[in-house]
Amino acid sequence: MERAIPYDTASLVTSRQGAAPQRARGHAKLVVRRRDAQSVISDLAMSGSAKLLFPRRSTSSLDAVMLNTAGGITGGDRFSYAATVEEGASVTLTTQAAERIYRASPGAPGYVRNHLEVAERATLHWLPQETILFDASALDRELSVTLAPGGRLLACECLIFGRKAMGEDVRQVYLRDRMDLRQNGKLVFSDRLRLDGDAQAQLDLAAVAGGARAMASVLIARPGASALIETLRQMLPECAGASAITEDLVFLRIVAPDGFMLRETLVPVLQELADGPIPKTWMI
Amino acid sequence: MTTGIDPHLILHQLFSPAFPVGAFAWSHGLEAAIADGDVTGAASLQGWLTAVLTHGAGWSDAVLLSLAARGASLAELDDLARAMTPSAARRRETAEQGAAFAATANAVWGLDLPELCYPVAVGGAVRALDLPHEHAVRLLLQSFLANLTSAGVRLIPLGQTDGQKITAALGPLCVARAAEAALADLDDIGTFSPLIDIHSQRQEALQPRIFRS
Repeated sequence: MERAIPYDTASLVTSRQGAAPQRARGHAKLVVRRRDAQSVISDLAMSGSAKLLFPRRSTSSLDAVMLNTAGGITGGDRFSYAATVEEGASVTLTTQAAERIYRASPGAPGYVRNHLEVAERATLHWLPQETILFDASALDRELSVTLAPGGRLLACECLIFGRKAMGEDVRQVYLRDRMDLRQNGKLVFSDRLRLDGDAQAQLDLAAVAGGARAMASVLIARPGASALIETLRQMLPECAGASAITEDLVFLRIVAPDGFMLRETLVPVLQELADGPIPKTWMI
Repeated sequence: MTTGIDPHLILHQLFSPAFPVGAFAWSHGLEAAIADGDVTGAASLQGWLTAVLTHGAGWSDAVLLSLAARGASLAELDDLARAMTPSAARRRETAEQGAAFAATANAVWGLDLPELCYPVAVGGAVRALDLPHEHAVRLLLQSFLANLTSAGVRLIPLGQTDGQKITAALGPLCVARAAEAALADLDDIGTFSPLIDIHSQRQEALQPRIFRS
């Protein structure tokens, strides 16, 4: 059975206690191709609680907004998005809102499997808003990207552990969050985040996150990406780093006390990296 | 199996600081953690090393070695080990030590290991020489920590005795992680060490710097 009504946090947590589990499903697929100077939808399929919206465009690139109509993810839910950008086309994907990962009953985590394919001379910007992990949440997520030679990728994933301003504690978390990049059939980059147990206690360790409650991981893969490194380093505060892992691959990690301060560092970085406007949802 | 030689002696030789992998040149980002004031003395150094073992590359390396020693595809493990490095310096750290390890092990014991990331190369040798792999993982972790401790002793600076106390204190954690790694599979690999990653990225821009990572 699908849940179609967006929940706020409080009502969701209350209604779930003792209730029979309802599992949300959502799958969406998008293919973008180039027609003259414009990037246009070539194929689109959506089912369940995963929707794609297409706001009025301001550039030749296509903007797509992902919307989870179930209002969040809990244990046993399954979501997937697949986007393919064909030769010479360009698309930016973002989300309508921050994704909320709610308390999961013991057992299965919520599964998210996202697949991106970027053809030669195509561009894909994967800029979902933050993922907020609440206490007792469980998430198993994979972002898997296949990039053709000459393709361009900018991918950013942000994790927020509870909302600090709301005084939320995040004691128990199960997190598997993977970002894989393949080129010519070979795994060239893989970020595998793995966190179990008392998230707050681990984040508070000076060597792990120094009390931060927000982090961002940003991957840029495009020909000559390493030329960006000096500019990026100038923009980053002490709690952030960037490295040109190869000539065509740059990786950034940022930690911040909360989601607001994360955006203060991240938004200018994304604007620099996007070579154009970033989704309005990202503006502070 | 190399007949007539105690496998423990071979393991101690492989993980001895005298085995020419050049470990002393790499700080895994610790140099930047010290420069940024995040590691300032014995207690914070021990905390940093504990995080490397518990949340960082120590755990992933332990599983990579164990899987290689248990017969998983060295080429696939090597791709993953390389792909998981969060910075260019960390990629060179594991790739160059692995290449040096393989070259020496090949020359001494007649193995045919290709150039592999360090824990994968070690796992390949452990398998080829039929050495006890859980013990190998303990020694991998201890030698990794001891090398970083010695970097910390020089950079902070700390007394040699303080350094040895840290290595001794972390022994039980090396044993515990090795036991878990012996049962782990590919999907158990992963880290949650954002500041350790960030420090390895920041170390690349540190001026002046002594270490190569």
